[in-house]
Amino acid sequence: MDPVNPWLDPSEVRRLAEQLLRPVATDRLDSADPWFDSSFVGFTSKDTVAADTKKPEPAAPEPSPVPEIPPASPSLARLLQRIYIFRDWLVKNFQAEEIFILDCEGKVIFDESGHGRHHFMGRNLASASHGSGYIHVKIGPGAILEVIPCETPYGRIVLGALVPDALPPDYIRTITEILIQTASPA
Amino acid sequence: MISIAISSQKGGVGKTTLSINLAHAFARAGLKTLLVDADPQGSVGLSLTRQSRLLSGFYDFLADPSIPMERLIVPTRLETFALVAAGQASDYEAGNGYSGSHLVRVRAFLSNAAARHYDICLIDTAAGLFGVTNDIIASADGVIIPQQAEPLGIRSVPKLLEGLNRLRIINPRLNVLGVCLTMIQYGLAESTEAAHTLRQLLPEEMLFQNAVPRDDIFIRASAKGLPVGVMEGRHGAETVFDSLRAEVLAKLARSRGATTYQSH
Repeated sequence: MDPVNPWLDPSEVRRLAEQLLRPVATDRLDSADPWFDSSFVGFTSKDTVAADTKKPEPAAPEPSPVPEIPPASPSLARLLQRIYIFRDWLVKNFQAEEIFILDCEGKVIFDESGHGRHHFMGRNLASASHGSGYIHVKIGPGAILEVIPCETPYGRIVLGALVPDALPPDYIRTITEILIQTASPA
Repeated sequence: MISIAISSQKGGVGKTTLSINLAHAFARAGLKTLLVDADPQGSVGLSLTRQSRLLSGFYDFLADPSIPMERLIVPTRLETFALVAAGQASDYEAGNGYSGSHLVRVRAFLSNAAARHYDICLIDTAAGLFGVTNDIIASADGVIIPQQAEPLGIRSVPKLLEGLNRLRIINPRLNVLGVCLTMIQYGLAESTEAAHTLRQLLPEEMLFQNAVPRDDIFIRASAKGLPVGVMEGRHGAETVFDSLRAEVLAKLARSRGATTYQSH
């Protein structure tokens, strides 16, 4: 019996190795954010995004009001409402800030960070993890970017959030479970 | 200065042997070389300096960046070769923390080393891509991956490649110099087959042509606290590391289009 190959996917190994030999496209880091193009509508207007970047009240007992920008469909409206409740839960329990969610194609479906660089990092870290789980990166003093890829009925989505300290695995598991519930049809 | 991390996913793959002897090969070639022990087990220090557990070192700098480099750098009998031990800092055996927590200080350390006109800084990291090791790779110019030529080690390769791809997002200029096969036993079919499998799996430029054989001289050198380059009967092993040094320099020159790092 071959002692190595049954444990490996040779094409995947080769793909990962070839990726390492290619230069990283650093110019994309400096661009505004190529994924925020004219086709992206999102759920909030620019003005609302700007307002959302203010620090939320940590002890807010009720979910924040959902912005009054009508989403494309009632199901999206319900999803958006659940995301806002989820967002408040994250803020309250984990001191999370600048939360964003990317869809399976890497497009922004929810964002209160306004930082394309965070989306870029989240997108690429999630892509590089290949399902091996969450990743956290310190991006500033007291600021850890947690990137949590998550399989949902809508496909793979990626949650990104800034937290003051890296979250332990059991917290990540809880967040993942709640995110799956949030992204699942009621 | 070129900083190169020597890092592996798995422990016990000959990482410290490669670090010490490759660094010594650079120094013998006339390049001013700093070998940094960033492995919490302190293997470089234990191999080369009897007082290593008493020396301030890399992790002390991470704990207190005001420590001057002069207090950390240990000269050797070879004028071009100096060491920095792992150090005494209390947290250096505490599992390394999480990635990013020491990034700024690791970069400050490398910047301080560069200011002392080292040509090459080799950093022997802890096994596994996490914690301070990640911060080192996220700060270094290049990384060399020692890989033991045996089946179990090779099964860990995908995880390693994934980890390096993640780190290149944080450090886009990271030059993955390649995988160096270590501890090859040419008389053992499983070992040579594992090496062959890895050569089939990876692109040619991802693997060093030279490989480090399993050789008793490394154990004898370690017992005496010396690189193999100063041992009796060293010539075979010394040649391997000289050839590896030449390969590293060629890869660096290709990637940088520079001639600064030609061996003497």
